[in-house]
Amino acid sequence: MNTSIIYIVDDDASICKATSLLLRSNGFIVEPFVQASDFLAFKHLKMPACLLLDIRLPNINGFALQDIMAQQGIIIPIIFMTGYGDIPMSVKAMKAGAVDFLPKPFTEKKLIDAITLALSKSKVQNKKQAEVAKIKQRVDTLSPRELEVFHFVAQGMMNKNIASKRGTSLQTIKVHRGRVMQKMQAKTVTELIHLAQKAGITSATV
Amino acid sequence: MKKKIIAVTPKKMKKPLLKKISRINLEGQIRLLTRDLNVIKRQLKRGVSREKLSKEKFRGEVTQGVNREKLGADREKQGADRERLGADREKQGANREKLGAGRERLAEEQFRLQTDEIELKDGQLREGADREKLAEEQIHIRTKAMEATFDGIFIIDALKPDFPIIYANPSFYHLTGFTKNEVIGKNYFLLYGVVDNLHALEEIKQALLQGRSFQGELLNSKKNGEKFWSLLRITLVRDKNGTVTHYVGNKTDTTLMKQRNLEIEEQREELLHVTRVGKLAEFVSSLAHEISQPLTAILSYAQAAQRMLKDREPQLQEVLQYIINDDQRAAEVIRRLRYLLKKSKPTFELLDINTLIKDTITLMMPHITAKNKVIKFESGSNLPSIQGDRIQLQQVLLNLISNSLEAMESSNDSRELVISTCLKDAGTIMVKVKDSGCGIPEENKLKLFGHFFTSKPDGLGMGLSISRSIVEAHGGRLEAENNPDRGATFYFTVPVYMKKGQ
Repeated sequence: MNTSIIYIVDDDASICKATSLLLRSNGFIVEPFVQASDFLAFKHLKMPACLLLDIRLPNINGFALQDIMAQQGIIIPIIFMTGYGDIPMSVKAMKAGAVDFLPKPFTEKKLIDAITLALSKSKVQNKKQAEVAKIKQRVDTLSPRELEVFHFVAQGMMNKNIASKRGTSLQTIKVHRGRVMQKMQAKTVTELIHLAQKAGITSATV
Repeated sequence: MKKKIIAVTPKKMKKPLLKKISRINLEGQIRLLTRDLNVIKRQLKRGVSREKLSKEKFRGEVTQGVNREKLGADREKQGADRERLGADREKQGANREKLGAGRERLAEEQFRLQTDEIELKDGQLREGADREKLAEEQIHIRTKAMEATFDGIFIIDALKPDFPIIYANPSFYHLTGFTKNEVIGKNYFLLYGVVDNLHALEEIKQALLQGRSFQGELLNSKKNGEKFWSLLRITLVRDKNGTVTHYVGNKTDTTLMKQRNLEIEEQREELLHVTRVGKLAEFVSSLAHEISQPLTAILSYAQAAQRMLKDREPQLQEVLQYIINDDQRAAEVIRRLRYLLKKSKPTFELLDINTLIKDTITLMMPHITAKNKVIKFESGSNLPSIQGDRIQLQQVLLNLISNSLEAMESSNDSRELVISTCLKDAGTIMVKVKDSGCGIPEENKLKLFGHFFTSKPDGLGMGLSISRSIVEAHGGRLEAENNPDRGATFYFTVPVYMKKGQ
């Protein structure tokens, strides 16, 4: 638990303070913000996290912040809070990928339940992110020619096809491919294609 | 007619005058002839006296020869006298002839006159027939017109003591449900039963007694008891002396019109009610938000305190629990209130924005004219349909129009309100409400659409915020800006309805 962080964005300072107090008393690390821009400017820590986000905010509202986070690749599960507990809004929030929707005022139990769910989601996301980062690190070690061959293989092209397209001998391609397999730490072609998918290298970028 | 008679009169007078003249002539001639005869008689007598004298002379002093000569001369003279008498007689005959010729002329004249008169009379007769025919035609046309009109028309004889109806057109029977037998000869007021319209009856009587015509709207009953509204006009018909001879009544059935007006009024009321409820719901929603914020904080504080005091201070724990319980009770009250005033779920349907605006203007028209303002609608042509909630969008328009009217209220020379629609781009319709009022002060521009912001002394500050949330729920935007010259323009967009797969 100690390794998790809870962000709060609510323009009501009193709510920020009270919720922070409640969560800290539950052993969480809490970072409250009274406006969305402050949250965006914050250097996020690499640990399981979740965001308690008020929908009605001045300037950038909750949904807008959700969009910006997606654009900037900030992957943190969101729990929306609102004083207007209407159903269409909660549906919209959930559809947009929110973990939960808490009508104000909410009890400690509901809050902790929602946070627990969000954090477990965050852990999975973090794990995935770490994996992707690792794969990307391996990709970075490939030479430009090897990267090219990796792309062709990821598209499911045969060695001879790659050779004819590249205008080189089949043997050369086989050598490149062997090095790609080695650097990417893939034992089979299927595994290599999996890695390519995880790293987001499936479409032809050559 | 009169003119003709005047023209004819001298001719008519000629006849007796001429008769008189010819009689005078005749009498005069007879008198002359009689005088002539007397002269002749006297002369003859004188001749006899002379004969006697000459005979005495003959006897007395001279010879028989002289006497004979004398006698011969006398005889000659006598012959001449006789001749003269003959001539006189001839003259008399000639006179008679003359008289005859005069008579003939007279007769001819009379004949001519009579012929003229006959011709004249004949002409008059012909003219009269033509005129009668014309009048008949006119009466026919007018009767047809009376029969054709949808208004019930009836005529009352004002000279008879009980004021009976002497004519009623078919529409009158149709309107009232009575038959001809039940109407003709009856008093108009008895026809309907006086009790229904006691007040109106008094008003009509007063008007007619004072020689005024009457106009008023009454609720009448048909023969079958069915009520109907009618506009009754009673006008007076006077003869040339100014005596009122007839009353002409004209009854227009205004039931449908009244119904239509009532419907418009009801629709507007309904919309206003929806708006009021909407405002209240939005108000409660905002209030709920404002209150739920501190309630959330209180709840969190209390629960944090409980957590901090875990397994200690049981009395304090209990007090904190009371705070938590009452906090939640307050939250529940707000939830229920919000549920009670929950806005009805919007029903989306395909709408034509121009029709929607026209309908809304119709609903607002009485207010617009009452405020002495003019509304102009410049509708964009061939606009595609939109999908939306009719009532909600009408609410937005109603709000914007009301605001514009209020912005123009203080000034008499700012009267024009222009609503226009256009296609902003292929997927968006734009509606503009432009007024020529006081405009938006710079300091209000940012707060304009916020909850509880109002520039009106009795405003709630919900109208524009509701309007904006409605427009946004439709996928559009509601904005405002000041016009370069005067007043402000509020404009909103709504997306064009796209068929699936488009």
